[in-house]
Amino acid sequence: MSSPALYRVQEEVPEGVAYRGHRFDNPSSCFSWMVATVHGCQCGPHVAIGRTRNIRRKEELMKLRNLGVLGAAGMLAITAAVPAFAQSPASMGTLKIGIELPLSGASVANGEPTKNGILLAIKQANEAGGVGGYTLVDNTQDDAKDGVPNPEQGAANMATLVADEAVVGVVGPFNSGVARFEIPVSNAAGLAQCSPANTGVDLTKEGSEAYRPEKPDQRNYFRVATPDDIQGPAAAALAYNDAGARNIFVVDDTTAFGVGVGDSFSAAFIELGGTIAGRQGNDYAENQDFNPMLTALGGNFDSVFFAGTQTLGGGQIRKQMGQQDILDKPLIGPDGIADLQAGGNEGAFITLAGVENSGNVWGTTAGINEIPDPEAFKVAYSAEFGQDPGAYSALAYACAQILIQSIDAAVAAGATDMAGIREGVRANVFSGAEFTTVLGPLSIDANGDSSQKFISFWKTDPTLNEGKGGWVFVRQQDFGGAAPAASTAP
Amino acid sequence: MLDDTLVATLTAQFFNGLTIGGIYALIALGYTMVYGIIELINFAHGELFMVGAFVSFSVLTGFGFAGPITDPVTLTWVLAVAFVLTMLLLGVLGISIERFAYRPLRNAPRLAPLITAIGVSFILQNLISAIYGGSSKPTPQVFPFAWRFEILGATIPWITVFIFVVTVILTVSLSQFIARSRMGRAMRSTAQDREAAQLMGVNINVTIALTFFIGSALAGAAGIVYGLNYGTINFTMGFSAGLIAFTAAVLGGIGNITGAVLGGFIIGFIQVIAAQLGYSRWTDAVVFSVLIIVLVFRPSGLLGQQVGERA
Amino acid sequence: MTARAALPSSPGLRQRLDALGTRHRSLTIILGMALVTALLPLIATLPPFSGFNKQIVWIDNFASAGVFILLALGLNVVVGMAGLLDLGYAAFFAIGAYAYAYGSSTFTDLSVPFWIMLPIGAVVAAIFGILLGAPTLRLRGDYLAIVTLGFGEIVPVVFRNASQWTNGTQGIAGIRRPAIPGVDCGSGGPLCFGAGSPLPYYIVMAILITTVLIVLYRLQDSRLGRSWQAIREDELAAASNGINTVTTKLLAFALGASVAGFAGVFSASKFINVTPEQFGFNVSFTVLAMVVLGGIGNMWGVAIGAFIIYMINSVLLKQLNAFFDTFRVPILSDIDFVQYQYLLYGLLLVAMMLTRPEGLFPNRRRAAELHVTDEPPGADVEGPDPSGPLGRGGT
Repeated sequence: MSSPALYRVQEEVPEGVAYRGHRFDNPSSCFSWMVATVHGCQCGPHVAIGRTRNIRRKEELMKLRNLGVLGAAGMLAITAAVPAFAQSPASMGTLKIGIELPLSGASVANGEPTKNGILLAIKQANEAGGVGGYTLVDNTQDDAKDGVPNPEQGAANMATLVADEAVVGVVGPFNSGVARFEIPVSNAAGLAQCSPANTGVDLTKEGSEAYRPEKPDQRNYFRVATPDDIQGPAAAALAYNDAGARNIFVVDDTTAFGVGVGDSFSAAFIELGGTIAGRQGNDYAENQDFNPMLTALGGNFDSVFFAGTQTLGGGQIRKQMGQQDILDKPLIGPDGIADLQAGGNEGAFITLAGVENSGNVWGTTAGINEIPDPEAFKVAYSAEFGQDPGAYSALAYACAQILIQSIDAAVAAGATDMAGIREGVRANVFSGAEFTTVLGPLSIDANGDSSQKFISFWKTDPTLNEGKGGWVFVRQQDFGGAAPAASTAP
Repeated sequence: MLDDTLVATLTAQFFNGLTIGGIYALIALGYTMVYGIIELINFAHGELFMVGAFVSFSVLTGFGFAGPITDPVTLTWVLAVAFVLTMLLLGVLGISIERFAYRPLRNAPRLAPLITAIGVSFILQNLISAIYGGSSKPTPQVFPFAWRFEILGATIPWITVFIFVVTVILTVSLSQFIARSRMGRAMRSTAQDREAAQLMGVNINVTIALTFFIGSALAGAAGIVYGLNYGTINFTMGFSAGLIAFTAAVLGGIGNITGAVLGGFIIGFIQVIAAQLGYSRWTDAVVFSVLIIVLVFRPSGLLGQQVGERA
Repeated sequence: MTARAALPSSPGLRQRLDALGTRHRSLTIILGMALVTALLPLIATLPPFSGFNKQIVWIDNFASAGVFILLALGLNVVVGMAGLLDLGYAAFFAIGAYAYAYGSSTFTDLSVPFWIMLPIGAVVAAIFGILLGAPTLRLRGDYLAIVTLGFGEIVPVVFRNASQWTNGTQGIAGIRRPAIPGVDCGSGGPLCFGAGSPLPYYIVMAILITTVLIVLYRLQDSRLGRSWQAIREDELAAASNGINTVTTKLLAFALGASVAGFAGVFSASKFINVTPEQFGFNVSFTVLAMVVLGGIGNMWGVAIGAFIIYMINSVLLKQLNAFFDTFRVPILSDIDFVQYQYLLYGLLLVAMMLTRPEGLFPNRRRAAELHVTDEPPGADVEGPDPSGPLGRGGT
């Protein structure tokens, strides 16, 4: 069998030459794989050397299998030797930003684009000449175990990041449940930690002292995502005022996020004058059929609020509403639904629901819409990673921006050693300083929440993007301060 | 208080139960057959269901179909080809797994193949996610949902009936095959007493391989039907479905074909009733509680034979 | 009858050490564990390991691995000693953890000291062990497995949904760390338990494991242990010989669950949080894999197996990318291992089962049972001419 010309996927990492490549017979399957697995990479021609791909693969697998069988203790020793080579003792020129996300198994669809947002920020900072004279590098940790985000693994990863002196700030985690285990560790070490996606109210507001037993008065955890106590009322305002919902059926995905936002939505919706037609929870891993619960109401509802993400049922419930022919009832969702991705993109809401079912869907996102150059991030991300940013890429990018600007400030204020920079970053974040981010200008309040309390409202439009469907901006509303009154729609 | 809306709702729920139950029944059949013959809880079986869904996705998209097919003749041909291809491929996959992962452990204590089965489950999940990507995929729903009929005030899509009919046909064919054919007799005798069957001239390896072939093909059929009905597939969908199907098989009496189907429908209806009453959140707990209660009173399952302890 | 069954000529060093160890078993365990506990952190400072992570992170990992070692030891009682296939073991882990959360957190405003909650948690878990084991008494083999699996699913679902009592998906936070009475921890110190100071946790875990090992070894050699062995081998025969299978089985569940209770209390005190997502089927399965791969029935084998698998899952598989990047292995550098973690783990499991189904450190008898085509264990002993008519016989 001759060696065909093969196409290789490659990405560059800041240290230099390492690439993770897969080889394909033609550019289009290379591209499909790349898009499917959300890799930051490009496809280029590659000539195969030596034996055919199949035998090489088998050898790799056999090699790995033998390695595994021949004593994990030995492998542990070898593995431990790794950073003896890789990690030079606290070199003057390198600082690290820790990344703590679920990156394997079912979470890869969310985790990878989020990680890429951070990598993009790091890359751009280095290209601009580094930060305060230092080069930035990432220290990436995966908190998924058996394919599912694991809180204990998150805590162990955080301990690893804390122990690495060059890490001066961490972005992550993705899940509020994991954050609860991590904050005690990062708090004890005074390490700044920014989450792009956590929405649990107890992480920063009432109840958060439970996570800071070691240094109760020192805050280190902050987030750019909107907490549930704002997302809920925001979605309620969107549902009541813009979508015209009055008697809404609430379904949550039984995750901490889903239940939290479902509860706060319901309370806010009732306050606006609406009624809750019913409330059910559905664990998408166990059951993907929403028909029974949609049927159960006997038609006594005029809208649906899906408290969850598009991957855990958001797309599916809309698809089945289409099958039941009730698309005239709007579907409203929080951040998790409004991924703002065009139909046809892997794992996007419109792709999962089907473009024919995705009309009359409304969602909220954190952040104002009138930022200086809204397309710039999208363009840069696509250029670097070959596809559209994911739902949380911009938020992760914003986290990284805040950390990078804080590093600048800390170095400028005179910190020279790693410990000093780490503390300087943390102090700067909570100093009330204003940061320029892709979400707009914002500062971090004393609790660790973003001062940016604008929520943007979006609606689907199936006719966009040559009929593939997309999202259009409706309006934005400021939720800073008291709960919103039932305002009139513009 | 039996007003029209309630009747319509309950009718619709009944058909929902048929759909969900049918899919579980098809998966449970494979579980029960494999268990009946080599007493192995094949935890990888749920992944076969998942692979079947992906294979049928590839088959249908490979032939260029993306949406409903309205011409009944074309539709029949397309479905026939999809079913045959997918079931064949899945059967072959099942035989390979048995050959390489389970056969060497046939004489090992029960736990070893259990661990292997879960290892195979991880492997299959990862392979599919490597090939197709980690996100959920929309599948071509070639059976049009627009085809509906009215009954007792509810509008039911014909696909529900289609799924039920497929389940019934496959179950009946299977039980006839086992009852009447020579290979079926071989399977029954191997299940009863492997050494004696061997002495009687039954080729054990072939018989077991055939059992796996049929079981995996049925899981594949469940996968196709799932893709047609729900339109979204994901590499994580197999494990949970497999567990529930296994529960269904045990509920009906493991090793018993009719029991597996009965168990599947019972669990399907439990899910629907839970949703109707507003307790979807608790479905899992309810299903397992029902199982435990049934097993307390009938330790061999609903239709299982009360086999005494063998020496 | 062959003349091959010759006695060993004189006890070698190995046999003498074995005999000594058996006679003074508890002492051996204490000494052995003390040695291991002292050595591990020192090994962690040696060149290969020290480059990987600081000693303090290693100690933290060891303490977390200890939780799984305890779980594996407990499951070994149920599955290995008594032969009851339990697929829902994580339920008892959850019960122990939540018991501590109720006993000592800001959620309930109680403050029962950790040292008292340890036995309380174990007792609560044992009670549930009996409750959840009771329905399984009449079931054979795999029916028992599915029922335990069922309980393993029901318990986390209840914790997740009964928000009034369990705080639902958010879990319970603000759990109090252990404190040594008389030591003031206002400003930290070596005896204080904290996120940044895992050494006290490590020592406590070592003591827990030692205690559990001593107790379990005693049980194994006791009448109860022999009853377990009997029902594992042949329940009908055991019952005919007067063994009360009901109490024997329930005791197996209870004792196995109580060890999980210890693990749960410790885990809750270390992470100061409990959430329902910690206790899914993957945990039950991982512990089962640890027991099987370590060598069912062999306690120290199971403990080592648990440690190794934990290190593989949490450390090795996650660092493969960095490893191959550094060493520039030509083909393997190109593969993103984080994505393929579970493929590798699955391959490892399958490969282990195909090559060594009895586990890494098996009971000798079981190993013999599983390798029936290999030489029988006495074959290497000096005996009559192996090529003669009475030599190499048997399968």
